[in-house]
Amino acid sequence: MKRAEIKDLNLLLVQRVRDEDDDQELLKPLEWGLIRRLFSYTRPIKRKFWILIGLTIIRSAQLPGLVWLASKVIAGLLVHTDAHWIIEGTIAYGCLAILTDGMFHFRQRYALEIGETVVNGLRAEIFARVQRQPMSFFQKMKLGRIISRVTSDVEAVRAGIQDVAFVSTIQFGQMVFSAVVMACLDWKMFLVVVAMAPILWLVNQHFRMKFSRLTRAAQDSFSRVTATLAESVTGIRVTQGFVRQETNAGLFRSLLADHSRYNVAMARTSAILAPLLDLNSQFFVAILLLFGGMRVFHHTLEVGQLIMFFLMVNQFFAPITTIGNQYNVALLAMAGAERIFWLVDIPPDWEDDPAATPLPDPRGAAGAARAAPAGARVEFQEVSFGYVPGRLVLHNLSFTAEPGDSVALVGHTGSGKTSIINLVAKFYLPTAGAVRIDGREVRTLTSRSLHRQTGMVQQQNFLFTGTVLDNIRLGRPEATEAEVAAAAEELGCRDLIEALPQGFHTELGERGGGLSVGQRQLLCFCRALLANPRIVILDEATSSIDALTEDRLQRALVTLLRGRTSFIVAHRLSTIRHASLVLVLDQGRIVERGTHAQLLARGGQYAALHRQFVQVDDRA
Amino acid sequence: MAESLPRVAAAGYSNYQLIARLFGLAWRYRLHCLRVLGIQLVLLTMGLAGLGFTGVGIDFISRRMRAAAGAPPAPPRMISPLLRFTLPEQWSSMHVLMLLAGLILSLAVCRAVLNYAYQVSVNILVQQKLVVDLRGEVYDKLQRLSFRFFDANTTGSIITRVTSDVQAVRSFVDQVLIQSLIMVISLTVYVVYMASLSPGLTLACLATTPILWLMAMGFSRRVQPEYAKNRDLVEKLVQYLTESVQGIAVTKGFGREAENRARFDAANEAVYRQQRHIFWQVSFFTPAVGFLTRINTMVLLGYGGWLVVQGRLPLGAGLMVFAGLLDQFSGQVNNVATIVNSVQQSLIGARRVFEILDAPIEVKNDPAAVRRPRLEGAVRFEGVSFGYRPTEWSEMATKQDLLSAAVLAKPDQPVLRDINLEVKPGQCVAILGATGAGKSVLMGLIPRFYDVTAGRVCIDGLDVRKLNLDDLRRNIGLVFQESFLFSNTVAANIAFGHPEATAAQIERAARVAAAHDFILALPKGYDTILSESGNSLSGGQRQRLAIARAVLLEPAILLLDDPTAAIDSETEHEIFEALERAIAGRTTFIVAHRLSTLRRADFIVVMENGRIVQRGTHEELMRVPGPYLRVADLQLVDRDKLQSAPPRP
Repeated sequence: MKRAEIKDLNLLLVQRVRDEDDDQELLKPLEWGLIRRLFSYTRPIKRKFWILIGLTIIRSAQLPGLVWLASKVIAGLLVHTDAHWIIEGTIAYGCLAILTDGMFHFRQRYALEIGETVVNGLRAEIFARVQRQPMSFFQKMKLGRIISRVTSDVEAVRAGIQDVAFVSTIQFGQMVFSAVVMACLDWKMFLVVVAMAPILWLVNQHFRMKFSRLTRAAQDSFSRVTATLAESVTGIRVTQGFVRQETNAGLFRSLLADHSRYNVAMARTSAILAPLLDLNSQFFVAILLLFGGMRVFHHTLEVGQLIMFFLMVNQFFAPITTIGNQYNVALLAMAGAERIFWLVDIPPDWEDDPAATPLPDPRGAAGAARAAPAGARVEFQEVSFGYVPGRLVLHNLSFTAEPGDSVALVGHTGSGKTSIINLVAKFYLPTAGAVRIDGREVRTLTSRSLHRQTGMVQQQNFLFTGTVLDNIRLGRPEATEAEVAAAAEELGCRDLIEALPQGFHTELGERGGGLSVGQRQLLCFCRALLANPRIVILDEATSSIDALTEDRLQRALVTLLRGRTSFIVAHRLSTIRHASLVLVLDQGRIVERGTHAQLLARGGQYAALHRQFVQVDDRA
Repeated sequence: MAESLPRVAAAGYSNYQLIARLFGLAWRYRLHCLRVLGIQLVLLTMGLAGLGFTGVGIDFISRRMRAAAGAPPAPPRMISPLLRFTLPEQWSSMHVLMLLAGLILSLAVCRAVLNYAYQVSVNILVQQKLVVDLRGEVYDKLQRLSFRFFDANTTGSIITRVTSDVQAVRSFVDQVLIQSLIMVISLTVYVVYMASLSPGLTLACLATTPILWLMAMGFSRRVQPEYAKNRDLVEKLVQYLTESVQGIAVTKGFGREAENRARFDAANEAVYRQQRHIFWQVSFFTPAVGFLTRINTMVLLGYGGWLVVQGRLPLGAGLMVFAGLLDQFSGQVNNVATIVNSVQQSLIGARRVFEILDAPIEVKNDPAAVRRPRLEGAVRFEGVSFGYRPTEWSEMATKQDLLSAAVLAKPDQPVLRDINLEVKPGQCVAILGATGAGKSVLMGLIPRFYDVTAGRVCIDGLDVRKLNLDDLRRNIGLVFQESFLFSNTVAANIAFGHPEATAAQIERAARVAAAHDFILALPKGYDTILSESGNSLSGGQRQRLAIARAVLLEPAILLLDDPTAAIDSETEHEIFEALERAIAGRTTFIVAHRLSTLRRADFIVVMENGRIVQRGTHEELMRVPGPYLRVADLQLVDRDKLQSAPPRP
C-alpha cells in the first residue's frame, strides 16, 4: 500500500462506526410524566422530599434577601452618618446569614440523598427486571446497552436531580424575587434590565448547543483512541511478531491529533462564551451607569437606589446563565431516564405461570450432598420449537430419558442440539407439544425448583470473579469447604485446584482468566457435582484440550453423570460412546436414535458423521 | 488506591523525584507556560483597574449629589497610592458618565479578548501538545515492552495509563504549576491593594482566611478517600452486573436469581450508605464555607461602614472596591483545595506513567546486530533455560493465551530447563505437552518475545540476540491459538506485517491459506471491514486469515501455537489444507494435541514441567512406553482404527 492509501485507511478508521445507542436521542425535552415517575422513587423518604420543596422556596427568597440587606446598608451610608444604622443592618444581615446557611445544610443534604435514593431505586429495578427476563432477552440485548443504562444514564439522572432540579428552582425563584425588588425600586430601570435578559439567554443557548455537539464529537474521537489502544494491547503479540510498531505508532498519533482537534475546538467555543457573557454584563453596567446616572442628576432616582440596583442586578442575571447550563443537564437527564425506563418496561416474553408449583425433590432437605443421586425422568412429546415465531428449529420431537439415562445429542451446527437442552432447562418454552419432568409438564413447574435440581455445564465454562471456592459453591452456597474439597476429590481434580497459588482460595480473574480451558471445565464439573443435581446438562467445550487434561475430564464426566439423567451436546467421540441414547439431529429432526454401537452398525447418517470425526484424526 | 493497582515493576519513586520530573516536563513547554502566565497578569491588572474606575465613578456621583443637596462636600480623599487621582471637578456630569461608561466598555472588550486568548492558549498547550506528546510517548514505549509486561498487567490497567493517568500528569502543568503561580501573584496583589486602602479592614476581613484554608484542606483530605472508596464500590457494582448478564445462563441454570438479586441489592445499598456519609460531610462543609464568606461581608459592612461614616474611607473607591477585591480574593483562596487535590492526583498518575516510560526494554536490539534479510531457518536450542524473575512481576496474568499460561506456574520455578534441540531448515517439529509445560514459551524464545535466562537460541548458527530484531521477526510467521484480527479491512489484516504488499501478494497468501474463496464471498471481498476482534467470521475463517497473514512475508520459520484449539471440531478440517500448504518448505514448530497432526511432523518433542522428556518420530515414540504412548492410547479410542489406518508417509 502506498502512503496515501495508508492515510485513507486512517481516515476510514477515524470514521469507524459509532455504537448503536446512536439511534437513541441524546437530549430530550422536559416531560412531566418522566419527572413524576423519577420522583416516585423517593417514596421511601417522602417526608424529606416535601421538606426539601419548602426549603427550596425559602432559599430562593433568602439569597436575594441577603444581597438586598447588604446593599441597603451600603446605600444608607450615603444618607445616614451615625453608626446606629450600620450596627442594626449588620446584625440583621448576620441573623439572616445564620438562618440561610443553617437551612442550606438540610437543603443540600436532602437533595443529595433524594438523588441517590432515585439512583439506587433505578439500579435495583434495572437489575431485578433484567434478571427476570427469560433467556431470549439476552440473545437480543447487548451487554453494553444494559451497562450504559446503569452507568452513564443513571449518572445523568443523578446530576439532573442533585444538581439541577432544586438548584434551578432556587435560581428561578431568586430571579423572581430580585425582579420584584428591582421593579419596586424603579420600574423604568427594571425594564432596561429585562430587555437584556433574552439576549443573554439566546447567546448562552447557542453556545451550549454548539458545545454539546462538539462534546459528542470529542467523545467519539476519544472512544476511537481507546478502542485502538485496547486493540493494540490485546494484539501486542501480533504487532511485535509482525514488526508493526512504527506503523501503529503513526496511526495512533493521527488518532490523538484528531481527538485533540475536537478538544481544542471545544475549548474555543467555551472560551468565546464565558468572556462574551462577561462582556455582556459589563455592557449592561455601562448602560446602567449612563442611564441611571442621568436620572440621578435629573433627580428622578436616588443615588442609594442606583447603588442597590448595581448590587441587585447580578442576582437577576447570574441565574440566567446558570439555568442555561443546567437546562442542558436536565435534557440529558430526561434522555437518560427515558432510556432507563425503556429497558425496565420491556415486557418479558414469558414468565412462570402463577399457578405453577415446585417440582418435588426426592433428594431430601436442601439437596444434601451425600444423598445418593437420583435421576429424573425427562420426556419430550411431539415438541416443536422456534426462537422466532414462524421459524421452527425443532420439529415434532419425541423421546424419553429414564432416570439415570445419558442422552448424547449429535449433529451439525444449527441442527437443534442447543435448543433441546434449552428446553430441558426451561430456558425457553416449547412452541407446541410438551416437555415433562417426572411426568409433569414444565409449564406447571416453578423455574426455580427445576433449576435447583439441574446442574449445567456450558460451553463457555463461565466462572465469576471471586475465589475458586465461591465459584464451586454457586449452586449450593451453604456447602462447607470440606464438602467442596470432597466434591473435587470425587472428580479427581483436587490436586489441580490445590496446585493453584492459593488453592481453593485463589482469586479468579474476569471470566475465570488465568485458567486453561480444561481447568475451567473441571471447575464447572465440580460446581455441577456439588449441587448434586438430578439432571445434568452439558455442552461440551469445542476447544481441543491438551490430552492429559482431556483424560481427567473424561473420568470426571463419568463420575458426574453416574446415576443422574444427563443431556450432552457432544463434541467428543468418547463421550458419545458412553451415552445410553444417542440422538442424531438434522435440521431440527431426530434422524437416528440408538446407542453408539447400534448406530454404527446401521451405517446411516451417524456412521457418516463418525467417519468425519475419525477422518479429522486421520488427515494431514 | 495506588496500592491496589497492578504494579509494573518494583520501581519506587519518592515524591520529590516525581515532582522534579514533573517540573522537568513543564520546562519542556516553558515558553508556552510563560505566555499563559503573561496573559493572566495583564488580565489581573485590568480587573483591578476596572474596579478602581467603578469606585471613582460612584464617588464622583455621590459627591455631585451631596453638592447639589447643599451638603458640605466631603473632601476628595484618595487613599489608594495606586489610584492617586480624582476626576476634575469642572467636568460636566454627563461627560464624566460617558467617559466612565466608555472606559468600562473598552476594558471589558479587552478583557474578553484576552480571556479568550488565555483559554485557547491553555488548551492548545494541554490538549494539543502535552497530552498528545505524552500519550504518543507512552504508546510508543508500550509497543516495545516485552510480553512479560503484558502478561503481568491487565488490559484495563494499561489503557488507564495511556488515558486518565496521562491526563493526571498533564494536570500538574496546567492545574498545579500555572494555577499556583497565578494564585500566589494575584493573592499578593490583592492583599497589597487592600492594605493600601485600609490596613485595619484588610486584617479584619482576612482573619477568616486561615480558617477557610484549613477547612478546605481538611475537608478534601477527609472526603477524597471516601470518594475513591465510593468509586470502587460503584465499579464493583457494575462489574457484578456485567458478570450477572454474561453468566445469566449459569445463574438461571442453578436457579440463583433471587440470591443474585439479594447480592446486587446489598452492594447497591452499600453504595448508598457510603454516599450518605459523604453527603453529611459535603452538606456540612459547603454551608460552613458560605457562612465564613458572609462573616467577611458582615465585617465589611460593620467595620467598613463605620470607617466610611467616619470619613476615613471613601464609599466608592474605598468600600466598594474593597468589596470587589474581597470577592476575588476568596475565589482564589478556594482554589487552594483544588490545587492540593491536583497535586495528589498527578503524583499518582505520574508514578504510573513514569513506570512505563522507565520500564526497561528487556528485549533490546543489539546495535552491533547482524543484518540478515533472509534466513535459512535452521534453529538450534543450546542448553536453554528460562524463568520469570519473581520479584519483577507482582501480578498474576489474567489473560488466557497460552503464551502467558506460564505465569500461573509457581513464580520461582523455571519455565524451561536445559532445552537442547536442533531443527534443520524445512523440518516440522510438533510439540506435545500439558498446559504449563512450557510449549508456548519455548516457541516464544525464537522470535525473542522472551530472552533466555541461560543457554542460547541460534538461527542459522547465529545467536538470535546477535541478529537484527526486525530481520529476525520478519523471517518468522506466527499463528496463535486464538488469532487476533484488527478492526480493519481483510486485506489490511493479511498485509499486517507488510503494509506495502500488493493486491496480488495478498491474494496469493490468501490462496495458500485456503481463504480466497470465503473472502470473495464476504460483502466487500478483500475490502470488508472486520468488526472488533473479527467477530463476524467463524473460528476457522479467522485462523485461515491468520495463516495468510503469517505466510504473506514468505517466512523461513513458521510458529503455530495450537492453531486448531479455538475451532469447532466440525470446521476443524477446513484449516488442515491451509496448514499443510503453509508448512511446506518452512521450518515449522507446531503445538498440537491431535495425533493426526503429531504424526505429520518430522519429529515430535514431548514436554513436561519445562523439560523435554521424549523426542523422536511418531513411529519411534509409539514403540516405547512413556507419556506419548499414553496420550496416543487415550486418543485412539477405536483400537481397530489404529490397525486399519496405517500411518501415512
